[in-house]
Amino acid sequence: MSISARLKYSFMKDIGAPALMSLKDLKPRRARAVSKAFGPPLQSNKRLKEILSRHYFLARYAPGAKQVAWVTSGAPVELLRTFDFYTIYPENHSALIGAKKQGADYCAIAESAGFSQDLCSYARIDLGHLLSGKTPAGKLPKPDLLFCSNNICQTVLYWYKAIAQELNIPLIHFDAPFVAIEQSQHDVRYMAQQLQDMIPILEQVSGKVFDLKQFEIILKRSQNSSMTWGRVLECMQSKPAPMTIFDAFGHLAPVVSLRGLPVAQDYYNILLEEVEDRVTKGIGAITNERYRLIWDNIAVWYKVRFLATFFAERNMNFVTATYTNAWAETTGFLDVKDPWSSMAKTYGQIILNNNLKHRLGLMKKMIRNFSVDGMVMHSTRSCKPYSVGQFDLRKALSTELNLPAVILDADIADERVWSEQQIQTRLEAFCETLEDTSLV
Amino acid sequence: MIIPNRSEYLKQQARNGQKIMGVLPALYPRELLWAFDILPAEIWDPPGDILQANAHLQTTICPVVKQGLEFILKDPEIVTAGYLFPHTCDSLQNLATQVKDLIGISAPVYTFYNPKGAFRQATRNYYQDVLRELQTTLEQLHGPCDPEKLQTACQLGFKIDTRWNELQKAWMSDQLPVTNQEYFGLMRALEYMQPADYLELLDQVTVQDQTVIRNDTRLLVSGILPPDIETLSFLDELKVRIVADDLLAGSRRIPIVCMDPPYDPMEHLTDRFFMLPPCSTRANSLAERSHYLKTLIAKSDAQGVLFNIVKFCEPELFDHQFLVKSLKSAGLPLLNLETELQPGLSGQTKTRIEAFIEMLDDQVTA
Ligand code: SF4
Ligand code: SF4
Repeated sequence: MSISARLKYSFMKDIGAPALMSLKDLKPRRARAVSKAFGPPLQSNKRLKEILSRHYFLARYAPGAKQVAWVTSGAPVELLRTFDFYTIYPENHSALIGAKKQGADYCAIAESAGFSQDLCSYARIDLGHLLSGKTPAGKLPKPDLLFCSNNICQTVLYWYKAIAQELNIPLIHFDAPFVAIEQSQHDVRYMAQQLQDMIPILEQVSGKVFDLKQFEIILKRSQNSSMTWGRVLECMQSKPAPMTIFDAFGHLAPVVSLRGLPVAQDYYNILLEEVEDRVTKGIGAITNERYRLIWDNIAVWYKVRFLATFFAERNMNFVTATYTNAWAETTGFLDVKDPWSSMAKTYGQIILNNNLKHRLGLMKKMIRNFSVDGMVMHSTRSCKPYSVGQFDLRKALSTELNLPAVILDADIADERVWSEQQIQTRLEAFCETLEDTSLV
Repeated sequence: MIIPNRSEYLKQQARNGQKIMGVLPALYPRELLWAFDILPAEIWDPPGDILQANAHLQTTICPVVKQGLEFILKDPEIVTAGYLFPHTCDSLQNLATQVKDLIGISAPVYTFYNPKGAFRQATRNYYQDVLRELQTTLEQLHGPCDPEKLQTACQLGFKIDTRWNELQKAWMSDQLPVTNQEYFGLMRALEYMQPADYLELLDQVTVQDQTVIRNDTRLLVSGILPPDIETLSFLDELKVRIVADDLLAGSRRIPIVCMDPPYDPMEHLTDRFFMLPPCSTRANSLAERSHYLKTLIAKSDAQGVLFNIVKFCEPELFDHQFLVKSLKSAGLPLLNLETELQPGLSGQTKTRIEAFIEMLDDQVTA
């Protein structure tokens, strides 16, 4: 690590980034036309933007000052934080590109380099970025280390192997056995052992010695952030719900990519306060919430606004989602007194690494707790672990709970897959069914 | 050499009262099933149209998963001991729980997690734990596992592996006078035959002392499954020989080196798992895979590589990009075929194969 790079990084962190953020505030923004169906926007949106912009802005000063790691969303990042890695989440970056409706461009770069169009679009976008250097975030540092866990999918392992090969850098893989029935003692033992085996490798790459005390502090902080995020989501049980799930898709970013850092904890305290205040005052995310919906699967990033408006204008609000819940669901298992096994339990049992019986039970609980009237399932081309089984989940929920449901065929970040006409027709039919059912 | 027909053989076994378990791709401890007197019948590409499975799976799911589900939904009578789903990829992982927890079939459904972790002690220990877990689960329905039977099963498995190592070498060095169709038919017969019957079948194959085949165009095939029968026989017609394979249903399930005879079954099965060739579905790096392929090409003197890619197969498609790049830069000609596992060889595919072979032949004569 070079001293000048470290000084530059510290300067940017303490002075440069805050100054830039305040300059951004002064810059006049084009006001977007917002449908009257929405209630007042969350004040925390501004803070969220600042945090994320700062994170991406500072990233360009990290090389030389800190080791940079690219990490998957479900990986036990707390271990890396103990060694002070600057972490970048390619999935988050790909979602950002998807939200800017640029996913197809990046995918095309990866495809012209020989990657199949049938691969997950987060991976294709990331590989497109890697091969071209293009990013809407200005500049992203190349990683010194890759850290992935197959607790969300096997895809990340294949994808990260491809990056490791391209950049000739080490890849640490945390193997999380799929929970076919329930997590066994040997599953936990295996994962706990892997985590401990990573320490010498991380010490070598980072040049730092493992500090157990620091690790415990980070674990605690990470748990607090996730739990606070869980409480934010719980607030949406109120009628009217103080925010929509489309808001939550955005507010999820810190718990995914800044988990374990003080900034994430501070942020969720602010958000929780605001959301609770809205609940007390009866301020809803949409002005006339008549129907409450559940969303299944990852967002359609390039159509978040379209979908939010479409439903809000029909007085329908998404109040819960399996996706946003994923970073809150298993945090309760974390235990600073037993860090290794508790991390194995936390990270090994998340929704995408758990069987469909578990998912069905969880969805039923959410439907009940959030007083849900209907369900929209996004069947995404990209994500097999999220999508395989959805048809039968839908059937089970529709039959057992008499819940109107619709499946949207789309993709998370490759906008070429979207077929507006077909989807609009489906959604309209769904809304009609929902309205008819509620009349009965 | 007469390879018994899969369906007839299994029907006969079922008539004889043999317990049969349907096993989805790809890696599983077959010896453990044999020790319980269970015959594994592997389900990779059962014939027939996909009808019922379409109501359960998206269009973008690979045909191996779809065909597998279609087969299960038909509730075939021969499958009497349930289904085993080894953990291979995301789609199969979810299919296992979909079948068990949502579709709900009457037959028992078992799963087996193949660790994806780096090949360290923790992974070895874990693999043994998973083996024991499967054993305990099977004991609940099939009674205690007889250690002697397990030892015998490991011996049989070991003999099969050893014989295959010899056959592969003979095939590469042109000492095996069989066609492509026969070679892969023989390889795939293990997907449904009793180990003892299978060994007898292997014994019918004579390895010649000297080179018996010359002047054929030589190819290596990589992918999940070998090309279908029509393609294989077309290659036979064209005097093209697949001299080596890097197939998940083929040699990626045969240990790279000859192993020692089994001493302790659990140790043996663990060693065996970790000695399998690099595979897209496991922890191996791309460099390892590419190195392995290049070694195989050099050993077999293959002139080119045929990638037989199953549509929508993520593990293979990810690795494919780098393998193509790496092999091309080594000057190796490649042909990519995509398969949806439907029978029949289109005119267009025939033309592509012919053009590829002509190009290889031109290179030789140039
Ligand atoms: S979208 Fe699905 S397949 Fe892609 S990285 Fe995320 S979990 Fe994995
Ligand atoms: S063909 Fe590929 S995606 Fe399909 S089951 Fe096999 S490994 Fe999985």
